[in-house]
Amino acid sequence: MKFSLARQALILAALALVPGMGEAVYFRHNISWRSAVPPSELVTVAQARAWGGNVIWVDARPDEEFARDHVSGAVSLNEDQWNELLPQFLAVWSPGKKVVVYCSAESCDLAREVAERLRKEAQIPDVLVLEGGWEAWLKKNR
Amino acid sequence: MKTQILTFTLSIITCLSARAELKWEQTSVELHPTATDKQAVGHFKYQNPGKTPVHFKSVHASCGCTTAQSQKDEVPPGEKGEITATFNIGDRTGTQIKTVTVETDEQTNPKTVLTLKAVIPQQLEISPMFVFWKQGEKPEPKTISVKAGKEFTVKHIKVTSSSPDFQTKVEETGKGEFKIDVQPKETTNLVASTLTIQPEDSQKVFYATARITNAPTAPAAPAAPVAPKGPVAPTTPAGQTH
Repeated sequence: MKFSLARQALILAALALVPGMGEAVYFRHNISWRSAVPPSELVTVAQARAWGGNVIWVDARPDEEFARDHVSGAVSLNEDQWNELLPQFLAVWSPGKKVVVYCSAESCDLAREVAERLRKEAQIPDVLVLEGGWEAWLKKNR
Repeated sequence: MKTQILTFTLSIITCLSARAELKWEQTSVELHPTATDKQAVGHFKYQNPGKTPVHFKSVHASCGCTTAQSQKDEVPPGEKGEITATFNIGDRTGTQIKTVTVETDEQTNPKTVLTLKAVIPQQLEISPMFVFWKQGEKPEPKTISVKAGKEFTVKHIKVTSSSPDFQTKVEETGKGEFKIDVQPKETTNLVASTLTIQPEDSQKVFYATARITNAPTAPAAPAAPVAPKGPVAPTTPAGQTH
């Protein structure tokens, strides 16, 4: 009896696996394989603030959001106007400075994408993403 | 027994056909805009095969660069429609994946995630886009590598520096690859330059930056901004994406 139950369970699990595998193969391009920002590339508001003047804050949000409010002294750098804004960021960067990029919240991708381009295209070291983004900064500062 | 099975099967089929649920033609779209396109538009078609109307509660894009619109708020039974997702390319390059989340009042599947994948061609790959020398550093040349994108043929490039403080020399290494040697005249002053890189027979312009930075500073002493001379903020000309 026990054997029979176990066998039935196994058969059911195997049957369930077939459509699951099929879906995974058929929709393989729909599945997000993008990993979150690795912990080593994240920084908290408290850590970033502790660096004081040695930090360049980069606001990766769209222009309208930056115009509404931003971290004091932050530089706007988004992918909508990357070519226009990058020289302005480079004008304030100097070796030894840490760069902290933020966007709206934990869930937004903009900061990760801007950080990636700064590292890859401009080969800027010490580029980090603010954990929790602008929302986290607001919580700690307002 | 046979009657019971038949009744059960029929009731299941009836329930399935009566429920309100949108049937999507596709939930994923791949777009290949041209190098001059400013937008990429994806159409996600649906139909309501059920017997009751479906109402859209919200349509949200994953990023500010994408807007999504439904043609109507209510989809009566049997009707077709589409969600249009418009992705503003801006200065983005490479493969971009954006999502649109559609919420309806369906019982079984109220949330659908639509995926828009845009593969943006890149005429020139420039690496790095920024070269710098620390103040007082030996003014030796630094190299910027330029490579034509997969779908493009670039035989020659023209490079100009916005500042006479930096000199550039282009070397063609073949197969659409180039080396730009950038050299400052001296590194005593904090100067910067925008390097304009233009493929021959193309209106499209690309940029790199060269700069003399101050040496690593003490934490509380931020560097004085030094903007590049000349076209400090190169605006993207109409119809061009970089």
